[in-house]
Amino acid sequence: MSERAKILGAVWNLPREVSEVKGKDPGTYLQFNSHMVTFYQQTYGELSRFFLALRAGRLIGAHCEKCRQVMVPAASWHCPTCNFAEMREIELPHRGVLAATAPITIFPSASFIGDAPFARGYVDVATDAPIASFLPSRLRTTTGLPRPGIFVKGVELKLVFEDVREGSIRDIFWVPMKEVPAALRDAKPLLASKLDFNTPPMPEVARDAAGEQALARALAAVEELAAKVGASPRAQKDLAGRTHAIGVRTGGGDFTLHVADARIRVGAGLPPKPDFVMVVADAGVFSRWVADGSLTDAAVEGALWLPHKEAFGVLPILDRLPRSVRRDAK
Amino acid sequence: MNKVAIVGAGITDCRGRWVEATYWDLFQRAARRTLEDAQVTTAEVDSVVYGIYNDIFEHQAIPESALTGHLGMVNKPGTRVTSGGATGFYAMRTAIMEVASGVSDTVLCIGGEKATDCYDPQSKSATPMVIDTIAKSWDPFFEYPLGATASDSYMQMCMGYNDAYPDDIGDSLVRAKIIEMLCRQGNKNPFGQRRDETVTVEQVLASRFIIAPFLRLLETCMYTEGAAGVLFANEKKAREISERTGVPPIWVKGMGAANESYQTGRGGSYKPLTSIVSDRVAAERAYAMAGVRPSDIQLIELHDAFVAQFMITMGEMGFVPLGQTRRLVDDGIMADIRELGDDRPPPKGQLLINPSGGLIFGGHFVGGSNMFSMWSARREMLRRHLPLALIHGTGAINAVFGGALVIELEDGGVR
Repeated sequence: MSERAKILGAVWNLPREVSEVKGKDPGTYLQFNSHMVTFYQQTYGELSRFFLALRAGRLIGAHCEKCRQVMVPAASWHCPTCNFAEMREIELPHRGVLAATAPITIFPSASFIGDAPFARGYVDVATDAPIASFLPSRLRTTTGLPRPGIFVKGVELKLVFEDVREGSIRDIFWVPMKEVPAALRDAKPLLASKLDFNTPPMPEVARDAAGEQALARALAAVEELAAKVGASPRAQKDLAGRTHAIGVRTGGGDFTLHVADARIRVGAGLPPKPDFVMVVADAGVFSRWVADGSLTDAAVEGALWLPHKEAFGVLPILDRLPRSVRRDAK
Repeated sequence: MNKVAIVGAGITDCRGRWVEATYWDLFQRAARRTLEDAQVTTAEVDSVVYGIYNDIFEHQAIPESALTGHLGMVNKPGTRVTSGGATGFYAMRTAIMEVASGVSDTVLCIGGEKATDCYDPQSKSATPMVIDTIAKSWDPFFEYPLGATASDSYMQMCMGYNDAYPDDIGDSLVRAKIIEMLCRQGNKNPFGQRRDETVTVEQVLASRFIIAPFLRLLETCMYTEGAAGVLFANEKKAREISERTGVPPIWVKGMGAANESYQTGRGGSYKPLTSIVSDRVAAERAYAMAGVRPSDIQLIELHDAFVAQFMITMGEMGFVPLGQTRRLVDDGIMADIRELGDDRPPPKGQLLINPSGGLIFGGHFVGGSNMFSMWSARREMLRRHLPLALIHGTGAINAVFGGALVIELEDGGVR
């Protein structure tokens, strides 16, 4: 069995040791490495019907004939509002609407490090029922990183099933219906492999004179930063061991940000084989970055388009550079 | 119901981590300070209620069992209460009911948490593991596997509210101004975790995102290690203690609690995503029991897990209209501590909200955070001669647990 397939990988461990730690008082105190891990063979019990259905490519809910509510997921088979009247299984559609605009997690918990940014939200599936619960759901887009404006209240969604399903809420996710080709919108189940999440189309940016001026200013700022990185041990440490060719498309034209040998360098146009390409209408984002702004914020807020989370992982390193340069200049 | 008074309160220093003390010692320190404040001995305490949210933080199931002897409560009843973020509120509610029922004359209510001994081997820091431990409060079938956290769950509520009421909590500048004001208040809390920090609007707006688009690092509560205690007494005992200490009793006038459904939905009894109904219902029940209106109250210690939720809760509890909670800043409803100083009440039309610095600047040791709020409210009532105060607690997924207490200073503090 591979490490990845295990419940806990090797990284989830600590050496057996007792170490010293300084107090505020400032005495010396001891701390011991330990854990409070319990393993489970957690039964799905009455929920098994719901997860068995997911494995079979179906979405089911529990329907009460008295109050006509639909519970999705089918979390109980007895209606809590009708003195526990028996509920019956109903087949649910593979489309729904987002019940409320979804938050996007940027800083996740320990178990989800590496997954961010990601969106999750509540989907209204039984839209014809007078009363219905919402399905807690993963939300994905084929257009790059999740960002504000995609998963907004009321957006129509299509249910997608992972090709290989084990019986987990992660067997399914939802995609904006408008991103699903018309021929696939009625597919039941629609499998994830039918959609392309790996090569999202770059958004178009209109090129104009104002954009070109903004780019010229941004390139001058980035060139200046690159020169300062050459004299900044902190910034070089930030970049140590990294090699990237990052294409940047702006409203004023394209350029490349090369990262190699603990330095950054600006190149003309897009590289032939970029690690990834960022897209931003206003090149001023890069001027503001050099002035202690944040490329990460620009991506989170949606001004800077990124194709995937791996690209997102590079931005905090770039964001450190202006600060490191400034600190070394002092 | 018998009258119930608050006759003593005490807290530890609020710290990001206490390497000098286990939770045993933190609880003992808070208990000692509470009883010293009330000038009572452990022998005069009939019973103890513990607020401890999470066994994993304490690294021990039944953590209260280890405390009995340390707190001098041997052979007395001891009840542990755990209700998520609202643990402190529910622990106080339990203690109050024990006195109100006549079962006990005096009850020590003590809560705390030792959260940041948690450690994440991947990031070699505590925070991701603390977040993960709290996320274990979400179910293992539907919510936790999706990456649910307290932050994203509360932000889901805020996003839903923002859908219903655009142009209110979504203005990051308004939120940052509230943070700046809370910071100044936290500077005046001698036990506050961030009492030496200065946080400006600009710093808030430049701090990194935790959850997009409504939550940056400086808009969120802290993880704190610490403990706080409150001593509740019946009328006879309260008057006796008051004579002893020279401090007027503060009476519990109203108490309200409401928990919404875990499941979100449309209609029926499902949790709506546009409002924090639990806060509204809890506050309305507390007002009704106390015979007061929100306009009678000028001191609030609110469970500010996140500043956007702070604004919604102020609306739900009736202090500002829903959809217009930004008026707290725009209309100057939130009193400026620089103008009040240390002993003046807010002028008519203004509210003193979280003079402790709240959970964002003062401290958030989950099981005792609402006792921390009670400690602060009592302190402010006594020195500013404020007749009424509201203490609020919230917790669990999508803010579904809500609690409110209305307390009254005897004779407005005039003796």
